[in-house]
Amino acid sequence: MIRVDALRKRFGTVQAVDGVSFEASDGRVTGLLGPNGAGKTTALRMIYGLMKPDGGSVDIDGVDGVADPLAAQARMGVMPDVSGLYPRLTPREHIQYYGELHGLTGNVIKQRTEELIESLDMKPIANRRTSGFSHGERTKVAIARALVHRPQNIILDEPTNGLDVMSTRAVREIIRRLRAEGKCVLFSSHVMQEVSALCDHIVVIAKGAVAAMGTPAELLERTGRANLEDAFVALVGLDDAEHHG
Amino acid sequence: MSMFHTVWVVCRKELKDAFRDRRALVSLVVGAVIGPLLVGFMFNRIANRQRQVEDIKLPVVGAEYAPALMEWIKQQGGIEIVDGPADPEAAVRDNKQDVVLVVPKSFAEDFSKSKPIDLQLVSDGSRQTAFPKVRRVRSLLTRYGAEIGSMRLLLRGVSPSVATAVRVEDIEVSSAQQRAAMLLSFLPLFIVLAAFTGGMQIATDSTAGERERGSLEPLLLNPAPREHIVTGKWLAAVCSSALGVASTAILCFMMLRFIPLQEFGVRFRLTPVEGIGVLLGILPMCLLATALQMYLSTFAKSFKEAQGYMGMLIMIPMLPGIISSVSPLGRQPWLFPIPIVGQHVLLGEVLGGRAPAPAMFVLSALSALAVAGILLWLTTGLFRREKIIFGR
Repeated sequence: MIRVDALRKRFGTVQAVDGVSFEASDGRVTGLLGPNGAGKTTALRMIYGLMKPDGGSVDIDGVDGVADPLAAQARMGVMPDVSGLYPRLTPREHIQYYGELHGLTGNVIKQRTEELIESLDMKPIANRRTSGFSHGERTKVAIARALVHRPQNIILDEPTNGLDVMSTRAVREIIRRLRAEGKCVLFSSHVMQEVSALCDHIVVIAKGAVAAMGTPAELLERTGRANLEDAFVALVGLDDAEHHG
Repeated sequence: MSMFHTVWVVCRKELKDAFRDRRALVSLVVGAVIGPLLVGFMFNRIANRQRQVEDIKLPVVGAEYAPALMEWIKQQGGIEIVDGPADPEAAVRDNKQDVVLVVPKSFAEDFSKSKPIDLQLVSDGSRQTAFPKVRRVRSLLTRYGAEIGSMRLLLRGVSPSVATAVRVEDIEVSSAQQRAAMLLSFLPLFIVLAAFTGGMQIATDSTAGERERGSLEPLLLNPAPREHIVTGKWLAAVCSSALGVASTAILCFMMLRFIPLQEFGVRFRLTPVEGIGVLLGILPMCLLATALQMYLSTFAKSFKEAQGYMGMLIMIPMLPGIISSVSPLGRQPWLFPIPIVGQHVLLGEVLGGRAPAPAMFVLSALSALAVAGILLWLTTGLFRREKIIFGR
């Protein structure tokens, strides 16, 4: 379970995140939805402990993510917005390296690596060096290495960004499977279809603050729109600009 | 999870990664091999030139006028008389001959009258390569003249020593010897350079490269303290640097075994003890060099920029050598704890056949380790900065 409260972060004169609070619970897929530059990635970076918030708190399964980021990270599996891989290592070696960094022992790593390769359908590429991998293949490796320690909380920053149809379906399948296992999945996207296809709970972020949150049905009801896309446009304030500007 | 676990995991991964990198391997091998090969090649050239002097073909014009002199020259060994060219001056000027001896027709007549014989030695004073040959021929002719002169004095009942007011003993410090000694003084520099070139690829690839690939952010998401990760990367670079130093040193020593240094008049002892002394003196440099490289590479905005810094860093180990060529550094005890300078002085001592006190080895190693530690601490600080983690 991930709970953030009044998160704030300023870069120079720009207030990138301005009092974001929400909760992502277990067994649910929570979507962070917002236009580019709304502060989604900055908020996620503070949640996964690589950026220190100016104010506010991060709670991961009861662990204070700001005070003890390492303990919080042990409970998280994260795929950041760049899936930086080592071009001279194979997917198998990537998963193994991250397993070792999480302090897992050899046998456990071996077993989980095989499981992940099997479930992410990576058998044909498992022993090839990753240089020259397609975007979809790279994403799979990045997800696999983030899951090797079986984290309860999974954070994915724009996981389907730039993927082709088949890879997008594969990633969605992974997310649904994680939810079925009772995990807490938090992912960000600026694509409406992604969020509506997957999310149980949507947090709409605009200009660094939470504009609205709730189930897709609740958001439709609140805005009085017929579909989520219109609701999204109304919530992030683009509608106003269209009408008045 | 123990500290050693993370350090070991990161170190092993970086080494595995680096040894799959053909570019890194090539730079490691080239860095280790080029110095010793260069010095070996130069020695070979000097030896060849030396042999040229020892085995001279001397073209003589008018040899038939002085059979006695020709006979005497042939007895000296290492010199062979051949027919001279029709136009000696043109032959020398056109680089066909280094030196030509011209015997006058009046040789026998002047000889019997005890008149000085005018021998001509044609050579080009601007041609450095011909110097040793010309010098050898001239000294032979001077000796011949002195021998004949002594005999004439003896025949007249005068001791030849009366005619020798001054005797000059030639102690030859030939240019070949100088060049050989200078070449030997390059070897320590090559070994020190290997400390910098050996770890360079890992130091840059695991920091600037990691940032540029975007793999730093996911790496830091693992629940491992930054200082353990930095230490692991550094150790990998140290291993590679030490490998470079060891292989360069071994190649240098192997090469020196094949070169007959005595032939050059160079006194240079090289025992395994001295080899170990050299390694002990330089290995601490690996700790320091890689820590410095890592700090600068982490700081660099891109892999390219990092490589630029590495090029500048290479100048650092050369500085003590440059300074000491202008004003010798000496061997005062306070020099040893100065990083890089200390290693330079230690090396000079070991190769000069003096054994520095073990405390000096310890002192210079400890100071290198201390500076490396500070640099690692600074690098860890950089790894905490959000601008470094996310800024590309």
